[in-house]
Amino acid sequence: MTLALGTYLQERDEAGLALAEDAELIARACHAVALRFHRGGRLLSFGTGQSAADAAHLAVEFVHPVIVGKRALPAFSLANDASALSGLARAGVFATQLRLLGRAGDIAVGITIDEDCAEVAAALAVAREMGMTTLALTKAGGLDGTVVDHLLTARSRDPRVARELQMTTYHVLWELVHVFLNDPRLAATEISR
Amino acid sequence: MSDALYPFLSPAAGDVEALLATVTRSTVEKAREIVALRREVLTLLGPRIAACAKALAAAFAGGGRLFTFGNGGSSTDAQAVAHLFLAPGPGHRRLPAMSLTADVALLTALTNDIGFDAVFARQLAALGTGTDIAMGISTSGGSLNVVRGLQEAKRLGMVTVGLAGSGGGQLAECGAVDHLLVIPSSSVHRIQEAQATVCHVLWESVRRALDEAD
Repeated sequence: MTLALGTYLQERDEAGLALAEDAELIARACHAVALRFHRGGRLLSFGTGQSAADAAHLAVEFVHPVIVGKRALPAFSLANDASALSGLARAGVFATQLRLLGRAGDIAVGITIDEDCAEVAAALAVAREMGMTTLALTKAGGLDGTVVDHLLTARSRDPRVARELQMTTYHVLWELVHVFLNDPRLAATEISR
Repeated sequence: MSDALYPFLSPAAGDVEALLATVTRSTVEKAREIVALRREVLTLLGPRIAACAKALAAAFAGGGRLFTFGNGGSSTDAQAVAHLFLAPGPGHRRLPAMSLTADVALLTALTNDIGFDAVFARQLAALGTGTDIAMGISTSGGSLNVVRGLQEAKRLGMVTVGLAGSGGGQLAECGAVDHLLVIPSSSVHRIQEAQATVCHVLWESVRRALDEAD
């Protein structure tokens, strides 16, 4: 068996280099997240399917950093509890948990590689209404920017390629949040949301 | 954007713009770094991924199931790859796959009663057969429970797949891994991102092989 290597590489090269063009958007989102942590906010992540795994991955980055010496920050995924996921299915699993567990001043991160992402979109709308800073990691043709403060779109329609780019985005998110938190200039800045 | 900075609120805001410019540059570098690593990995590991996909397709065709496992971020990657095989979306066949970190009762029982090193090996001993596939993920290659899991899988006659970073660590040395896929990087984050690519390309190749065989 031979791999269709050329195709795999081309798709990933183009979308991967496009991520660099969004560097400033990503940096500004990280700044907003760092400010929320600085003021006592917590990060709540969520997603469905493969993105549920990424939501857990993002949370573990913050709570148990891979780099020794980085401080633990409060974060948890809303997609880990089988009882909650199955029991709240009709009520809106993430929106319901956000209403009960979230607070104004927290950070909501919705992750999706689907074009139909109503569950995640509904939860982000609730989070925004509650006064949380909202981020969406999405893909081309997915969630639009009307329900979030920071829309970070992986520029591929292929859900697998998009997911790979999102991993880089959330790893960078974790890293840059610490850069901002360690900078004495952070506390002097203001954001509207 | 709704949270644009308001430079007029604080004299330090100009400094923050400078900091933003610095971190923006560092983000651009990381994006380029992973593009290059991904290219290197697919070129370097292409033949190994193809051989692994062939073995997986044969195992699935023979009724085998895929068991995936890892720790921390790698446990979520194991969960994601199992879900990809199980529920790849419209138009694609579903294949039997499960991750070994989803059952909290089992994880806590095995850890409490035996020890964390045994959590995957014991589950495989109970659930696995010689027709199945075991995929262990460890960025360092040194996670003892992953190594033990793959050793148990090998003992049972399963197809064993190991994903690691750095030099491959114990995964490369334990002799229990039929298909070893090592990412040539020492950054945990870049390794995980490249491993996701490897898993996705592996799935795509397995899917194609099974489609062609129909």
